[in-house]
Amino acid sequence: MEDKKNLIRMADKIQEELIRLKHSRYLELMRQLTTFAGQLQELTAQSKKMGASLVNSWFSAADRCCKGVNRLLSDIPHSVSKLRQLTNAPQEELPKLSTLFDELIQVQQEFGCLEVNNTENTISVITESITLDDVYLGPFRIQLELKKFSELYTVSPYHVIALSPNPAATDETVTHPHVSNEVLCEGDGCVAIRTALEQGRLSDFFTMVRSILTTYNPDSPYVALIDWDGDVCYDCGYVTSREYIYYCCYCEHDYCENCSTYCRCCDETCCLGCSEQCSYCEDQVCMNCMKECAECDSACCSSCLEDNICPNCKEEMEKDNEEQECKTSETKEDGNPGQPEKSETQIKLAS
Amino acid sequence: MRLLYINNDGGGFADFIDVTEDTTVEQFFKDQMRGSKPDDFLIRVNRQPVPREYVLKEGDRVTITPTKIEGAEI
Repeated sequence: MEDKKNLIRMADKIQEELIRLKHSRYLELMRQLTTFAGQLQELTAQSKKMGASLVNSWFSAADRCCKGVNRLLSDIPHSVSKLRQLTNAPQEELPKLSTLFDELIQVQQEFGCLEVNNTENTISVITESITLDDVYLGPFRIQLELKKFSELYTVSPYHVIALSPNPAATDETVTHPHVSNEVLCEGDGCVAIRTALEQGRLSDFFTMVRSILTTYNPDSPYVALIDWDGDVCYDCGYVTSREYIYYCCYCEHDYCENCSTYCRCCDETCCLGCSEQCSYCEDQVCMNCMKECAECDSACCSSCLEDNICPNCKEEMEKDNEEQECKTSETKEDGNPGQPEKSETQIKLAS
Repeated sequence: MRLLYINNDGGGFADFIDVTEDTTVEQFFKDQMRGSKPDDFLIRVNRQPVPREYVLKEGDRVTITPTKIEGAEI
């Protein structure tokens, strides 16, 4: 339990930040109003140009005006929506110090713990361990940074830190389907969370962040829970469950079904990069079972090699041997193996 | 009688509203959150959890916060 004095000190700081936030809200409103006024001025200018173009029958100039007006008409609704957001919410009085103190006490009650750091100006709570669709994600620290409070409209003033991280297999910065780099994507809770912070309703803020963390939206996660524990293929990057991942003992990486094979000689599983096709039988074999023919240097599997010689070379050698044997037997039959041609020449000369 | 109602569902507005005397928290929830289940919300009166038959009083602060909010990818 936090010391009462600490809580009062923190409540005071929150009040100061809320004043700054109010100021920054008006600044943002001014900025948006300036943008909107600029767009209206530009629209007026386009209108004048359009009038002049029509008077002079400058149709290409009129076409350009149409394009300009069209672009402005796309931008204006966005500006109007931003202005609405900033002007719609009633500008209530700032919460009293006692109210902010009560908020901190309520946070403490809701979460069972509250960490107030007056040096770093942070307020943190820790959620219970979260498991979504049987995927354990562990507990998270929700850390509100008062320094960033006044920048609420541009950056997230809080972080969601995994205390026992079990990040997605594909991206270690994603520690929760809706958290990336410690930033929560609030989705449906965006407006309510911002409103709670603007009004100093810290308890509502922390409980809403927790509600997002304990809910899974399968339509829009950074990484879907179905792919969470999957392994990544080293070659193509495809994520698949562990039972469909194969380890290559040569390069020592994991591969998916499509990027792996097995050696037809030794049955060892290996990746496509560590296997080769035998030039004779065309089977895929691993590096260990792939040899070179001593005669022609072609890559051949150990099953096809015989005395380190590929079947093609073996066949040629056998042919050569047969021919050699034939010649030897012929010369033996003639009885004069040294001068057969000479005798033939002699015959020719005689004729 | 008037009470402060903070609805964190959707836009998250906070406003003073009028309710009839002897309204219980359960009835209040039914009236304000039509079609929603109380189990999906954290209901607090004056920052405290209360039983469903709790009768609301003038000036009470009622907070209704969903326990399931769908986050999204940016």
